[in-house]
Amino acid sequence: MAASKTGTGLLPRSQMPLKTLMIAMTIMCYLASLSIGALVLINQAVDKWSSDIAGEITIQIRQLDGKDIEERVSKAKTLLDQVKGVTKVEVLDKTAGAKLLEPWLGKSNIISELPIPRLLAVTINRASPPDFGLLEKQLQQAVKGASLDTHRRWQAELTRMGTSLKWLGYSVLMLIVLSAIALVIYASRSALEANRHTVEVLHFVGATDPYIARQVQWQFLLAGLKSGIAGMAMGVLTFLILGLSTATAASSGFVEASYSLLLGAPEVNYISYMLFFLIPLVATLICLIAARLAIMRILQNAI
Amino acid sequence: MNENKTVVRLENVGLRYGRGHEVLKDINLQLDAGSFQFLTGPSGAGKTSLLRLLFLSLKPTRGLINMFGQDVASIPPAKMPFIRRRIGVVFQDFRLLDHLTTFQNIALPLRVAGQKEKQYRSDVMDLVSWVGLKDHANAYPPVLSGGEKQRAAIARAVITQPDLLLADEPTGNVDPDLALRLLRLFAELNKLGTTVVIATHDTNLIRNSDYNVMELANGELEYGC
Ligand SMILES: Nc1ncnc2c1ncn2[C@@H]1O[C@H](COP(=O)(O)OP(=O)(O)OP(=O)(O)O)[C@@H](O)[C@H]1O
Ligand SMILES: [Mg+2]
Repeated sequence: MAASKTGTGLLPRSQMPLKTLMIAMTIMCYLASLSIGALVLINQAVDKWSSDIAGEITIQIRQLDGKDIEERVSKAKTLLDQVKGVTKVEVLDKTAGAKLLEPWLGKSNIISELPIPRLLAVTINRASPPDFGLLEKQLQQAVKGASLDTHRRWQAELTRMGTSLKWLGYSVLMLIVLSAIALVIYASRSALEANRHTVEVLHFVGATDPYIARQVQWQFLLAGLKSGIAGMAMGVLTFLILGLSTATAASSGFVEASYSLLLGAPEVNYISYMLFFLIPLVATLICLIAARLAIMRILQNAI
Repeated sequence: MNENKTVVRLENVGLRYGRGHEVLKDINLQLDAGSFQFLTGPSGAGKTSLLRLLFLSLKPTRGLINMFGQDVASIPPAKMPFIRRRIGVVFQDFRLLDHLTTFQNIALPLRVAGQKEKQYRSDVMDLVSWVGLKDHANAYPPVLSGGEKQRAAIARAVITQPDLLLADEPTGNVDPDLALRLLRLFAELNKLGTTVVIATHDTNLIRNSDYNVMELANGELEYGC
């Protein structure tokens, strides 16, 4: 850039408090990349959970005195088979319900004597799901003791948790940006303070404020770019290590998402990468703009 | 060319630093274009303070300052640099930049005005030679002697052929011969139209010329011969 060619060099680089700024900015960018990574992972995990859940519902049929449960189970299956949007109905055998209780009761005969409800796993066509409310009503009218568990409550709770986590993430990002701006303003102030004598002389020989600001701002821009790249690299590395070290563990949504985020599973969205690359860009812009504004302000108040 | 005959006009100017006593009281001063003035007075009389008012590094606590036909108080800050470019200043303490060479220091006013080194290199080198710093053109101020720094400071003040030259004790660190040589430089600049004000204790210098002398005493200005 032409401006930087005539501009740089009038303020000595050695007298710039840029090292401290760069360390602090690198940490800020690292924290920003962690928050962005967390945001992306939360988004992906919530997506995965909610889509899994919506793809399958469970029908529960309670034991009732004097009513044949098997008959009611087959009645429910017949009904469900005719519902549009249901692709598969699987009647889980008696032990399926019991198995769910095993961790608490242990393997014993008590289980078979308990009035354990029977379960039907219903696979839903996600493209055109049935009206769950209507389905539930029909079921309850036709089959006594039947109830439909769409996992909606779960879904709502997960979504709520995901949303608050997201807002938390955005707030953290906002705070990071604010602290970064404060840092740059502080550093600009001390840069001018350290070069007070030079700035004074430049003023006396007729340098304009924008000219003096240019001497400093390119060095801030460079500092921002460098620390942005460093912070981003550290962040990506952290997720890489996190992804690799937990990849073999049982796949929950979160770990799978973090694994795929870094190792390029097909469902990875490129926007996530774009967000990471935004960090050096934003850091550079913050350094340039905040330094410029702060310097111009200080110079105007100088005399 | 001489549409603004008065370069500087001060009316009832007073100056105090903070809550101290008034360093300058009721200064009335008019400098005509092309004039040459000495400013003397005992140490602490306020010579430097008066010059600082003239190159816009201080604001008066009262009174009016008019430079080049403009009321200084009404000049917007963004325009100040362009007024300053018409004024060359030699500081009592030189104020050279230690991280620039002698050549770069002297060329600084041209550089900040946006000129390229190609354009000014030979002019600056001529002046560097004229003040006897040719061998030190690439040296940095910390390794220069007091007199060499003084000459560099003078060269920087005159490189742009300013309309107004303010020199604060410009011969304080050089031998009498060189002092007279530097005075000749100021005289020549004056002949080309620059208004010159030299603050000095150097009675020898004043005696060797027939320019006007103003004396500051107790914060008040008296006009001598
Ligand atoms: N920045 C300042 N703050 C407070 N007082 C100051 C400041 N600069 C100068 N003074 C005071 O103002 C008075 C005039 O100082 P000034 O430097 O103008 O004198 P001078 O005539 O240039 O002296 P010298 O011949 O020693 O250079 C002195 O009493 C000095 O102590
Ligand atoms: Mg003085």
